[in-house]
Amino acid sequence: MAAPSLTPSKAGPPRTPAPRRTETPPGGGRFTLALRRHLTAHAFLIGAVLCFAVFSWYPMIREFFLAFQSTENGRTVWVGLDNFTTVINDPAFWQAWRNTLWFTVLALLLGFVVPFVLALVINEFRHGQGYLRLLVYLPVMLPPVAAVLLFQYLYDPGYGLLNELLGLLHLPEQQWLQDADIAMVSLVIASTWMNMGGATLIYLAALKNIPGELYEAAELDGAGLLRKIWHVTVPQTRLVLSLMLLMQIIATMQVFVEPFLLTGGAGPEGSTTTVVHLIYQYAFNFNDYGAAAALGLMLLVLLAGFSAAYVRLSRTEDA
Amino acid sequence: MPSARRVRRSGAAALVCALTLTALAACGTSSSSGDGGSGGSGSTDPAAPLDPKTKVSITIDCMPPAAKKAELKQWKEDVAAFNKIYPNVRIEGRSTPGQCLEPPRFTAMLKAKSQPDVFYTYFTDLPQVLSEDGAEDITAYVNDKTVPALKDIDPDVLGMLKRGDKLYGLPTSNYTMGLMINRKLFQRAGLDPDSPPRTWAEVRTAAKKIADLGNGIAGYGDYSAGNNGGWHFTAQMYSRGGDIVDASGKKAAFNNEIGRQLAKDLHAMRWEDGSMGKTQLLKWGDLQKQIASDKLGMFLAAPDNIAYMVQQLGADYDNFGMGPIPGGKHTLAGGNGYMIKKGISPDKIKAGIAWLNFKFTTVGKGQFDWARTKADGLPVGLPQPNFWQGDSKRKDDAERARNATMNVEAFRTFTDNPVPSKPEPPKAQEIYKILDNVMSGILTNEDADVDKLLDTAEQQVDQVLAKP
Amino acid sequence: MSTRTLISPAQLARPRGKRLYRAVFALVTGGFTLAFLGPLYWLISSGFKDAQEVIRTPPTLVPESFTPGNYSQAWDVMDLSTLLLNTLYYAFGALAFQLVLDVAAAYSLSRLRPLFGKAILGMMLATLMIPATVLVVPQYLTVLDVPVVERNLLNTPWAIWLPSVTNAFNIFLLKRFFDSVPKELLDAAAMDGASPLRVLWSIVLPISRPVLGVVSIFAVVGVWKDFLWPMLTLPDPAKQTLNVGIYSLSNGVPVNVLIAALTIASLPALIIFLIFQRNIMSGLTAGSLKG
Repeated sequence: MAAPSLTPSKAGPPRTPAPRRTETPPGGGRFTLALRRHLTAHAFLIGAVLCFAVFSWYPMIREFFLAFQSTENGRTVWVGLDNFTTVINDPAFWQAWRNTLWFTVLALLLGFVVPFVLALVINEFRHGQGYLRLLVYLPVMLPPVAAVLLFQYLYDPGYGLLNELLGLLHLPEQQWLQDADIAMVSLVIASTWMNMGGATLIYLAALKNIPGELYEAAELDGAGLLRKIWHVTVPQTRLVLSLMLLMQIIATMQVFVEPFLLTGGAGPEGSTTTVVHLIYQYAFNFNDYGAAAALGLMLLVLLAGFSAAYVRLSRTEDA
Repeated sequence: MPSARRVRRSGAAALVCALTLTALAACGTSSSSGDGGSGGSGSTDPAAPLDPKTKVSITIDCMPPAAKKAELKQWKEDVAAFNKIYPNVRIEGRSTPGQCLEPPRFTAMLKAKSQPDVFYTYFTDLPQVLSEDGAEDITAYVNDKTVPALKDIDPDVLGMLKRGDKLYGLPTSNYTMGLMINRKLFQRAGLDPDSPPRTWAEVRTAAKKIADLGNGIAGYGDYSAGNNGGWHFTAQMYSRGGDIVDASGKKAAFNNEIGRQLAKDLHAMRWEDGSMGKTQLLKWGDLQKQIASDKLGMFLAAPDNIAYMVQQLGADYDNFGMGPIPGGKHTLAGGNGYMIKKGISPDKIKAGIAWLNFKFTTVGKGQFDWARTKADGLPVGLPQPNFWQGDSKRKDDAERARNATMNVEAFRTFTDNPVPSKPEPPKAQEIYKILDNVMSGILTNEDADVDKLLDTAEQQVDQVLAKP
Repeated sequence: MSTRTLISPAQLARPRGKRLYRAVFALVTGGFTLAFLGPLYWLISSGFKDAQEVIRTPPTLVPESFTPGNYSQAWDVMDLSTLLLNTLYYAFGALAFQLVLDVAAAYSLSRLRPLFGKAILGMMLATLMIPATVLVVPQYLTVLDVPVVERNLLNTPWAIWLPSVTNAFNIFLLKRFFDSVPKELLDAAAMDGASPLRVLWSIVLPISRPVLGVVSIFAVVGVWKDFLWPMLTLPDPAKQTLNVGIYSLSNGVPVNVLIAALTIASLPALIIFLIFQRNIMSGLTAGSLKG
């Protein structure tokens, strides 16, 4: 399929000169002009807006309806709050929320802090930066399923390489994905390995934009390493940091491939069942779209509240 | 910049509009695949067999993937042979590299009504297929003219594809579970491979002996993920005389002494004896890999697993044997077949049934052409699939025996000690998912609280059953 | 080195500073090499082991049973060329759609000030906060039967391409960049009577190369990495993407062949990355910072 291109030569037949803005007569012409301006503007918008409408906004509304409906033998009926009761009474419900929260915390600790610290360190190096950046970004390019299955092989408690390495270091072997206590940590490690390249590179670039004089000035004030980081580096990169934090949280909430492939989704005693996995479970294993939508709606409301709080917070900080 | 050239605004607007419209309008791939073009006259009587002059094309899923070289070759030969009788029927096979039917994809397919004209299902899928209105009632189309061996198909097996009097599919295979063993490991551990353990206590002792061989070898293995854990929990409950759902179909029936004993035995094998290997959260395919590479002594499986291991995992079939399911009270029975997509033309339905009959339900042809299977280096002599009775059974058994390429003795205890079979519970996949947690709890947590695991699962299963 | 960083050059010049620097440098470089190249080495080398060695405890560092046949077997079984071509087709199609529709939309929102522009942008950005996986169910049902045009997009590339346009983050990046284009430049062009399309094409786009690069990378990588959506919307095995194809294969072949397959699947992207690493990495960081 040839992609439609935006070449100006295609842009319509007769090229009569458009009236200059300054030449327009006052009065009714201004209205026509404004109308025309809006029409043009919306002509540019319409493609994306239609896509959003069909594949994003409409599904959101539909999610809302689905949550209060049920389909049996091809007939759809309104069931009030039945789907919500089903979902809340599912013993997996609270566990899934706990797991999601735990995963988010872990993913932020590892996926947010580690790349920043690494970027700080790499940025100090006088050579080899290119090589390190290359390395850290390498896994991002792998097909995620390949990377995840590689981790499954590394994590295997029998013949896996990681336990072998622990043995060499005289550390106790781990059950990794098969231990309800650390299965989630194992998932986050795999996920961080696969994804931290992007964040590290962005932090590095942000660090390079910090004017050197700020550090010199801080040193004149007698600031030590940590104080320099806290008073110069962090404030100077705040915009990037907060943007990345937001993205990280969004990404974390969507995590699906790692638990789905590494622990079969549920994990040992359901310890890696996340809310998103539960939604998937309802919809595509139990064929219960209503329950899936009800749970999805809850997650949606939570995230909407969260994002509102975030926007508010960032506004007050700017003020 | 050539400022003299001016483009009219409306031109720009038109362009963007046009792009968008093409984008949407060009989604011109129609959903219905109903363009087989029934050129032939075709009798309107559903009971009449397909008129060979009828020009029709049908799509069929679960054609063997490239990894199953021999089966794919056979499929192609069968299509060619079928086309000698029906030169105007075009068979379009579709294949999946891994497991052909995965529940999520299957659900998606039904929802989308995107199933092929002739689609593959597990016996347990019937309620879901009917609730999505996905399969054609083929009762009128299936008779002793269209499927000559119909009367010899085990009514229990055929019944799996019926709701009331209405028939919705034809079986391709059936299975009952038994205990698959690795003969090489049995010998090395000083056990007799010709008499596999018959009780769960014997399984435990044998597993311990095999695991003592060391080198990462597990004695007994079981699933605990991907709904397969629950499936095997069910099989074990049945084998011990227990049940998953009570007779009313509304209550869980596994939270009792049988269930507890089952859980405790597995837990002891995993943690006290260390005979179940370290790697858990296994799903279908994992244990096969282990036993094929001589890392596993025993697991519960149907005989057809051997064909899979020989073909796809490069295993040697002489290395395997089978006994009846330990405990021997009941054995989980299941199977699969093909259904016909709802709403396709009568000619297509007839063509689909003609093909299914040729490939799957004719003694001496298709999947029951044992001489060819032997020539292609695939195992012959497995006791299943075998849904025949009467004359057909006699003929087919004789053919199997004549072409047997494997040590039939290795399956003697399995075939000589048939265990009464029992179908899967209602809402099987949902219940299996819940019981996965019980299995993963037992197998991954040394301090697992068996009572609590069963209590939770019981509560969840009750809830699932209470739903309409 | 002219840029001044966290630690002052004076500190580094001291003998203790030098030693510490060398130690940290060696540690980090060594650690990185192990952590990022190690698994890849393991992947490639394990693909050469035979069925027994690949699951041996303890594992062998260098394959003793050299079995290159795994690779040819994996190639045959997986039909990698089809999967790869499919994925590229979806990825570049999605890129084309996003470049045309999202750029036009961002330009309009940034410069043409349409009626309700702010509200529309707000509604677009709102979708950022909703995990795609939450909407997967209604979105999936929508793709089955697209409203108004009543088409089923399942098993067609449109199921990937059109939803990919709803990339609010890319629109946001583009809009931010267009906002930063000097107003005088555009006003001058408008005074000459150039149409908005002309201004976009001749003035805005040429200076937007960096951000277009970033958006392109995000668009392609988005499709390259997606799993759940293509798994649901492209159930036909002949139309699957690489990720879904490997997943389908994963429990149907012996461990060593699977690992060989993973290696083959990873190589094309790694090679492309190594060749274009400078462009990819500089584009990625430069663009997202300015955005």
